[in-house]
Amino acid sequence: MRDRDEIEALLARAAIADRAAFDDLYSRTSAKLFGVVLRVLNDRASSEDVLQEVYVRIWRNAGRYNANGLNPMTWLITVARNAAIDRLRRQKTQPTGDVDVDDVALADPAPTPEAEMLRGAERAQIVACFDELEAQRAEAVRRAYLEGETYADLSARFDVPVNTMRTWLRRSLLKLKECLSR
Amino acid sequence: MSETPDRDDDTVLAGEYALGLLSAEEAAVFEARLGAEPELRALYAAWAEDFAQLAEDIPPETPPAQVKTLIESELFDTPRHSIWSWFGLAAIGGGLAVAALALAVFLGADFLNDGPGAPDYVAEITAEDGSLTIEAAYHAGEARLVLERRAGAARPGRALELWLIDGDAAPASLGVLPDDPHAVFEVAEGHRAAMPNATLAISDEPAGGSPTGLPTGDVLAAGQVSSI
Repeated sequence: MRDRDEIEALLARAAIADRAAFDDLYSRTSAKLFGVVLRVLNDRASSEDVLQEVYVRIWRNAGRYNANGLNPMTWLITVARNAAIDRLRRQKTQPTGDVDVDDVALADPAPTPEAEMLRGAERAQIVACFDELEAQRAEAVRRAYLEGETYADLSARFDVPVNTMRTWLRRSLLKLKECLSR
Repeated sequence: MSETPDRDDDTVLAGEYALGLLSAEEAAVFEARLGAEPELRALYAAWAEDFAQLAEDIPPETPPAQVKTLIESELFDTPRHSIWSWFGLAAIGGGLAVAALALAVFLGADFLNDGPGAPDYVAEITAEDGSLTIEAAYHAGEARLVLERRAGAARPGRALELWLIDGDAAPASLGVLPDDPHAVFEVAEGHRAAMPNATLAISDEPAGGSPTGLPTGDVLAAGQVSSI
């Protein structure tokens, strides 16, 4: 069985309160998710705390993950990343949007061609498309995703006005999407 | 906002949302639209998949063991969750913690033995505290599953949904229980072979049943099928 199917099956069993499945899911995914959280927070103590929060959410929301949209690893990574970013922003007490996708967007996402693609091929494609962007602009998108940087953070980092940063980033998104849909 | 918005704008907006770059107000507006617009959900999902690839570069890091312990105590250490642990045990032990079958009750039950012949398999689908009890009798020849709810009921505005759990496979819905305590389900062809060794479980769902095809609410009761 492919990884994707296995993790999907574990989530479905966790959704009906199967603790053995949850244990298995934890042992297979916690190192990856801890890595993701650590990358955002860069602090072990708060990362451990957030990881705990993440698995509590996964257990409670497993029934809301369905095999009709996101890859299960994408869902797990997104839950972990968003929890870490929420924490980061609470720590900074910076007003900004919660990215609470596990509650909203994942209720019933439509299937996407991307979701159906083989992960390896998809990975190669996104790397290639990032390479087509100007180095700084690719870096800005990466930092927004991986470190949870905001427009304000990015404009300070690259020393450009916020509006310029926003324009850069929006253009980069369109270029990326254009490249990814080729 | 109900006009067909420019697709490029939505592509960018979905990307900004996936990156967490929108302000709280913008994110709230976007989320409200997500609920109503499948196309926007597809745009968002595509970005989520794309960006998740970036996480492939992040090295995994094994968390310390105490994290797991804390998760378990948060999730399972209160009485409210005892049903979960009970169910977990049932799933692992294959009947270890399953309530004893009340065979005599089945034999004496008129409804369950209604129709031609005695059932081939039975199950008592019960909550740990007895607040919900459903007796099930399965006639393999006709794929007929006869149910009798003896205790408990759906909460107002909610429904009880019956699930078949076959080993590691995802739970399969066998149907939503009617208000009437008596029900007869025909088990779909694809699930018949699994019935004799399955666990049957009841979950709390929105009226009309789970909208997703998988359990979405609490598991209220469960029981192992066994031959009579």
